[in-house]
Amino acid sequence: MEQGLRDCCRSIRIGKILIQSDEETQRAKVYYAKFPPDIYRRKVLLMYPILSTLPLIKMEGSDSSDKGNIDQSEAQRQSQLDRLDREEAFYQFVNNLSEEDYRLMRDNNLLGTPGEITEEELLRRLHQVKEGPPQQNSDENRGAESAEDVSNGDSIIDWLNSVRQTGNTTRSGQRGNQSWRAVSRTNPNSGDFRFSLEINVNRNNGNTNPETENEPSVEPSSGEDLENSQSDSEIPRSESPSVRQPGSERSTSEELTTEEASPPRGQRRARSRSPEQRRTRARTDRSRSPINPVNETPRRSHHNTSSQTLDHSSANEAEGSSRTRQHVTVRQHTVGTEMPSENAVLFSTPETRPVPQAAGSSETNGTSESAAPGQRPPTIVLDLQVRRVRPGEYRQRDSIANRTRSRSQTPNNTVTYESERGGFRRTFSRSERAGVRTYVSTIRIPIRRILNTGLSETTSVAIQTMLRQIMTGFGELSYFMYSDSDTDPSGPTPNQNVDAAEPQPGGGGTSSNEGTDVSSGEVYEGGNEGGSTSGARREGRNTRGSVTFEESGSLPFLSLAQFFLLNEDDDDQPRGLTKEQIDNLAMRNFGESDALKTCSVCITEYTEGNKLRKLPCSHEYHVHCIDRWLSENSTCPICRRAVLASGNRESVV
Amino acid sequence: MQRASRLKRELSLLTTEPPPGITCWQNESQLDDLRAQILGGADTPYEKGIFNLEIVVPERYPFEPPKIRFLTPIYHPNIDSAGRICLDVLKLPPKGAWRPSLNISTLLTSIQLLMAEPNPDDPLMADISSEYKYNKQLFLLNAREWTEKYASQQKKVSKPLEEKINQSKTGTTNDSAVQKRKGSNICKKEKKSRLDS
Repeated sequence: MEQGLRDCCRSIRIGKILIQSDEETQRAKVYYAKFPPDIYRRKVLLMYPILSTLPLIKMEGSDSSDKGNIDQSEAQRQSQLDRLDREEAFYQFVNNLSEEDYRLMRDNNLLGTPGEITEEELLRRLHQVKEGPPQQNSDENRGAESAEDVSNGDSIIDWLNSVRQTGNTTRSGQRGNQSWRAVSRTNPNSGDFRFSLEINVNRNNGNTNPETENEPSVEPSSGEDLENSQSDSEIPRSESPSVRQPGSERSTSEELTTEEASPPRGQRRARSRSPEQRRTRARTDRSRSPINPVNETPRRSHHNTSSQTLDHSSANEAEGSSRTRQHVTVRQHTVGTEMPSENAVLFSTPETRPVPQAAGSSETNGTSESAAPGQRPPTIVLDLQVRRVRPGEYRQRDSIANRTRSRSQTPNNTVTYESERGGFRRTFSRSERAGVRTYVSTIRIPIRRILNTGLSETTSVAIQTMLRQIMTGFGELSYFMYSDSDTDPSGPTPNQNVDAAEPQPGGGGTSSNEGTDVSSGEVYEGGNEGGSTSGARREGRNTRGSVTFEESGSLPFLSLAQFFLLNEDDDDQPRGLTKEQIDNLAMRNFGESDALKTCSVCITEYTEGNKLRKLPCSHEYHVHCIDRWLSENSTCPICRRAVLASGNRESVV
Repeated sequence: MQRASRLKRELSLLTTEPPPGITCWQNESQLDDLRAQILGGADTPYEKGIFNLEIVVPERYPFEPPKIRFLTPIYHPNIDSAGRICLDVLKLPPKGAWRPSLNISTLLTSIQLLMAEPNPDDPLMADISSEYKYNKQLFLLNAREWTEKYASQQKKVSKPLEEKINQSKTGTTNDSAVQKRKGSNICKKEKKSRLDS
């Protein structure tokens, strides 16, 4: 097969990945992987000979592609039927909702995907969202969720799938000398999506003592514990953002980083904070969890975590708001071997953190600091953000941001590669300073299909892109890992703590002050100046514990390999309407007296009580059908007339 | 994901009242993988040819257009050697003209129309396109030859691509397909009016 490929595509670069099943756990693990270093820039063709017949490789999602044996197609058909049923139930449910409820659910991202979510679940969510403030009820959600997670899934892909439904999750795990932590957050108000993944590899040849490493596994970590402690730790979390002032933040960043040029405006803060700060964070985190379990009581870890995450997200907040565009940022820091000097540098940072940030956790920080020196495994941090932007207004700024970044890094002996292909930008840089090698890779993809309505799709689209990113990100990550370290995963440490918190109500989540957009609530730029605003829509913190995670280093290859195959979207930005614009369109209930008509999106006849939306061209559709189309497009599906008046549209685009 | 319910409806429509010269069926009862046949229209170089197409329905259908390609090789300015079709309704706006009110049936009709009236100004196959423009006789000759070679009923057994089709087609839909084929020498005007409606 390979020969054939080489024969017909002579210039092709071939990488290899060998996946085998772990004899003990029966899970797939990466046995060997070697990719061209620039794989992230390439289109990937996955050739996939199956040497084993065991159903060990759990490739979810790509169901139809490989084998078409009878069982499978039968199962598939069954699942399709089920899905159909659920879909019908879904529409039934949506139709029976009052308008307020519909909006409520939609805005909270609770509707999910038709066909994937059962009616009961929807009902439950609705009740929850009605009964309590969103924060609490989603905490409950999360609790249930995490409990499930604890019981069954520990593949990252399972987890990712669960994110699709719930929005905010944190998971982390630890195995042998590797530990990982993943945090994802979705802000239903803005549709923003963040995902960050840190992987710490603790090399045995470091100062670390293997016994200590394994200790976390002994640590009790039931979901309840975490929930309790989490609710405690919520207090400092929610408070500190408001305490923080933009000014102080800025000064912080300047303190922290010496390398700063002075980029314009908000970008300064975002940029300057990022590399150093993050590294520190990762560092702190790592030093806390896998290596020094002794110091790690659940409570404390929570405090610690919360402060970190907070900090984290504030940085991101700033960054995102200053840029206001759809993008994904991936940062990876791989910090190389144990070097005393480096320790000093890194650990001075947390100390200089402003007090308000550290709030209830300074003590913990202290602990981790004191405990940490000497153990300096490489840490890889992936940080993804997906933010919604108005199409068309980003490119210029983007390039500014890019320039800023590379400028600020040059003093450090930094190599920056930038590649740009259409809307997909990628920056890869490597800097070497005081023996610390830092790899920073930033990928930005304009997410085209983020639905402004916040209907079901937002997260899943984001996730797709995100996964693609992780995938590419990891291609290179592993490249480093494999070249940098020969880590050897030790025995599994089945131990899970999963926990998450929820978005705070969020106060509308807008901090628009640039006024480019007439419709409110969609422009997030300028939020950089309003520290308090961003605090308001800061999302819930997440906490983490440890989870079994096989092959934390190489795993993403496997689970995410399928996402290699995802198509790159083409570059045009579909221009959809904003949620508000859609809501402003006329809506009515289909009455008995109406003539029998069919919604041309779903080709289903309207039945009484159906909610219809009437476009200015007087074509009507089901609300849920047309909303989805309009969130990506701005024309009537029948007559193709623009839904918005042209003047209005200008301001949107 | 209106996909499943919508596809169900579309398929039942396609079986009960298919557009003239077009048949469409599920491939091995997979919901998202359809096959279709288009009969070459009269007075076109594709006359008497039977062209098989593959229709892959994306998850987001009908908010995204289905992916349609020719399985049978066809000599046409807007269809490349891999069977990909250059047609605006097969692409999403702003580039394309797909909209959810279109459906598989209308798409197939559009393709049928495209076969009858190539659009050499937006070519996918540059050489075929210039041939079509400047040496139409040669184009017609070639196209007929290809039709004869790849798309004619008698010879289809020897074509690996079509073999696959035939296997999958042995199911229920086959009969109606044959029936339709008989009475389907429609003229172009009819096709156009279908499209417009």
